[in-house]
Formats: sequence, structure tokens, C-alpha cells
Amino acid sequence: MYDILTYIGLIMIGVGAIADLLAAIGMNKFWNFYLRLHAATIGTIWGAFVPIIGASLVAIGYEALGPYRWFMAGAGFVTAFLILILAPAGSHALARATHRARIVKVEPCIADHIDESMCVKKGGNK
Amino acid sequence: MDPAMINTFILYIIPIFIIAFILYIIRALSGPTISDQVLAIDAMTYDIAAFLVILSIFFREPILIGAAIVLALWIYALDIYIAKYLEGKEMGE
Repeated sequence: MYDILTYIGLIMIGVGAIADLLAAIGMNKFWNFYLRLHAATIGTIWGAFVPIIGASLVAIGYEALGPYRWFMAGAGFVTAFLILILAPAGSHALARATHRARIVKVEPCIADHIDESMCVKKGGNK
Repeated sequence: MDPAMINTFILYIIPIFIIAFILYIIRALSGPTISDQVLAIDAMTYDIAAFLVILSIFFREPILIGAAIVLALWIYALDIYIAKYLEGKEMGE
């Protein structure tokens, strides 16, 4: 019965690793902090939350661990739930502070209703 | 599902994670602004927490998961602290 869980868990770990690699590439390819937020969120949710859930599913069906597998699965689910809540809140706080402290201008900007001076139009009116 | 098959699968996954960490470190070192560096460290460390959980299955050491929970909480604290500092110092409310 546990084989199904193990297969699903291994697939989720694989998906998480690939998503993590894509997010890391995205972090280097995007040219602006606000665009990199998207890559960071992909790296965090698909690259961290999904593999932890997958690892917990694998841990449930892993007889070699004996009684400790339930501890691992439970702790894995708690960690995944924590990451699901903390990661977006943390990156949102960082983005808000960066925008209010004018550290990074909104480069490819169409409209910035919060603060017009931060918006750099296509022509680049610095 | 014999443990050997799980371990060989995870053995192939580990280099993908390591390459991703190297790319994150490149962004963290070269990031033009402080926020980029913090964002790269933030995303990388959440992935290190996930890597810890996967390693705890690979090495059959359940105690490693305790470190993953603490790491996830610590990185949230880093984000909030940096955001508070960036905002408070500049605006000086």
C-alpha cells in the first residue's frame, strides 16, 4: 500500500528539484528586483514546499526507519506548512521595504500608482 | 519499495539541488542591491531546508528535520529584520 505514496513522493521530489533549478536560473536571468520576486517565489513554493511534502510521503512508506518514520513525516508536513505561510509573507515584506525605501526603481513600468516618481517608463525618463 | 531504489533516485536529485544553490550564490554575490542579495539568500535557504529533509531520508537520520524547521523560521526572521531595517532607516518615521 505504501508503494503508491513512495512513488508520488519521489515524483514530487523530482519536480521540486527541477523547479528549484528553474527558479535559480530565473533569479539570474531576470534583470530587475521586482521580476526576481517571481523567480524567488517559484523557488520557494515549488522548490521547497513540494519536495518537503514529497519527502514526507516517502518517509511514511519507508519501513527501514521503523517508528521514526512517523516523526519524520509529521515534522515534514509541519515544515512544509510553515514554509507555505512564511515565505510569501517574508518576500512581500522585503518587496514593500524595497519600494518604500526607493532602493530599486520599477524598471519595465507601465504605471505605479503607489509612487509615480518610482516608475521608469519605456523611454527611460530617469 | 526497497530503500536502495529510493537512495539511488535521491542520489540523482542531489546534483540538481547543488547546481541550483551555486546559481543562487552567484546571484547573491553579484546582486546589485541589498534587496537582491537578501532575496537570493532567502530563496536559497528555503531550498536548503528542503534539501535537509531530503537528505534526512537519504541518510535515514530523522533528527535532521529539526534543523529544517528552525532554518525555515530563521529565514523568515531574516526577511522581516532586513525589511524593517531598510524601511526604518530610510524613512526615519
